Amino acid sequence: MRLPAAERRRPTLWDAAVVLAVAAAALLLFFQISPSEGNFLTATVVLDGEVIAEYDLSALTDPVSLRLDDIPYPLTIQAEPGRIRIVESSCPSQDCVHIGWVDRVGAQIICLPNRLVISLSGAAEPDFDAVSG
Amino acid sequence: MKRFFSLFLLLLLLLCSGCSAPTVGDTGTFNEFFAMDTIMRVTVHGDAGEPAASAAREEIERLEKLLSRTLPDSQVSQLNAHAGEEDAVALEGDLISLLTFARSLSADLDDALDITIAPVMDAWGFTTDHHQIPTQAQLDALLPLVDCQALEIDPQAGTARLPNVGMAVDLGAVAKGFAAGRAESVIRAAGADSALLDLGRNITAIGVKPTGEPWRVAVQDPQDSNLYLGVLALTDQTCSTSGGYERYFEEDGVVYHHIIDPSTGYPAHSGLLSVTVVSPDALLADALSTALFVAGPERALDYWRREGGFELILCGEDGVVTATEGLEDAFAFQGEDGGYTYEIARR
Repeated sequence: MRLPAAERRRPTLWDAAVVLAVAAAALLLFFQISPSEGNFLTATVVLDGEVIAEYDLSALTDPVSLRLDDIPYPLTIQAEPGRIRIVESSCPSQDCVHIGWVDRVGAQIICLPNRLVISLSGAAEPDFDAVSG
Repeated sequence: MKRFFSLFLLLLLLLCSGCSAPTVGDTGTFNEFFAMDTIMRVTVHGDAGEPAASAAREEIERLEKLLSRTLPDSQVSQLNAHAGEEDAVALEGDLISLLTFARSLSADLDDALDITIAPVMDAWGFTTDHHQIPTQAQLDALLPLVDCQALEIDPQAGTARLPNVGMAVDLGAVAKGFAAGRAESVIRAAGADSALLDLGRNITAIGVKPTGEPWRVAVQDPQDSNLYLGVLALTDQTCSTSGGYERYFEEDGVVYHHIIDPSTGYPAHSGLLSVTVVSPDALLADALSTALFVAGPERALDYWRREGGFELILCGEDGVVTATEGLEDAFAFQGEDGGYTYEIARR
C-alpha cells in the first residue's frame, strides 16, 4: 500500500524530478533576465527616422564602409571592430566628421543636414538617461 | 496529479518573480524630431504620456516658426527685415518676453551675451555653414551693429524695433531654453509629471523617473566624444552645456568655433572648454551657458556668487573641472579618464 506523501521519509524519483525541473527553470530564467557580461555593441544608422543599417560592432572582424550617395550631402560611414565614425561628408558644417570614432554604449553621431543619426547600444546599458554637451 | 500541479505552481511563481524588466508603460512615450536646427527627443511617462509628448512637440514647432531667423516668415525674420525703419514691428507676447529677458541678461553680464550678434555670425558663415574668416576691417564695420541695448521693446504695445540698418537678431543662444520651458509647461498642463526633454542636448528633467529616482544626465567631455566629465542627478532642473567643440571649422591648423565674443567679433577664448549650467529655469540655463563661456571662469564664478538660481560646472583649458557647491552631492565626477582634476567652488 502506498503511503501518503507526508508520511514518507525517503525522497522519491518524483521529488528529484521536481527539484531538477525547478533548478533548470531557475537557471534558464537567470540567464534570460541577467544582463550579458559580454561586450555586445550595436551601431544603428537612422536616416530621417528610418533604420537603414545596423552593425554588430562586437562581431565585426574586418573594417566595413557604407557609402550613402542618395542623400542631400553624400557621406561615408566606416565601422571597425568595436567602433564607428563618419569618415567623410560633403555636408557644409562637418560637425559629424569632427566627432570622430565613437565606441561606447549611449554615444551618438548626428549629421543634422542629412538628418542622419548613428546610435550605439549594447548589453551594458549606460548609467545615464541623456547627455548634455 | 498533485505533484504536477505543485510543479506548475512553482514554475509559474518563478516566471512571475523573474518579470522585473520594465513594462511597456515604464518606457514612456518617445517622440524624436528635428527642429531649431537640431535633433530633439521628448520622453513622457504615465497615462498622459502620448498627448503630453505630442503637445510638447507641437509647442516646440510653433516656437521655431516664431523664433527662427532662417525661416523667412518667422517674426524674428520680420523684425530683422525692418531694421532701421521708422515703425516698430508688432510681435507676439512670447517673442517680446524673450527679447526683454535677453536684453536684460546682456546688461547684467556686461554684454557677454548679445542677441544682435547675427551680422557677425553671418560674416563667419556660421549661419549658412559656409565658413570663412572675416577680415578685421569687416568685423570693425559690423561690430557697431552688435548692440542689443539699442533694441527698442515696447511690451505694452507688443512691438520691437532694431534702430539701425544692418542690425539683426539671432536667438540661437536662448531659443532652445525658451522652448524647453514652454514644453515643460505644456507637459505638466497635460497631466504628466515625469518626463525628459533633450532639445539638442539641452536636457530638462521633469519630476523624477518612474522608479522614483532622479534623472541621470551625463556631461560631455569637450575633448573626447566617448568620455564624460561626470553624471548629474537632476529633478525638475535643466542642464545646458556650451563649448567651442560643438561647432567649428579649421583653417591653416587654427580652430574657429561658433561661440562669438560680442566685444571682439572673434570666437571666445576665455580659458574654458565648456560651461554647464544647472537651473530650475530652462531659459536661464541655456542663456547662461553661452554667456558664461564667453565671460570666462573668473567672471562666471563672480556672477554665480552674486546671483542665485543656478549652479555651474566649468571645464577649464588647464584641465580643471570646477563644480559650484550646490552640485556637490548631485554631480558624480568621472573626469579622471580624460585626465581632469576636480574642484568645488564655494561662495
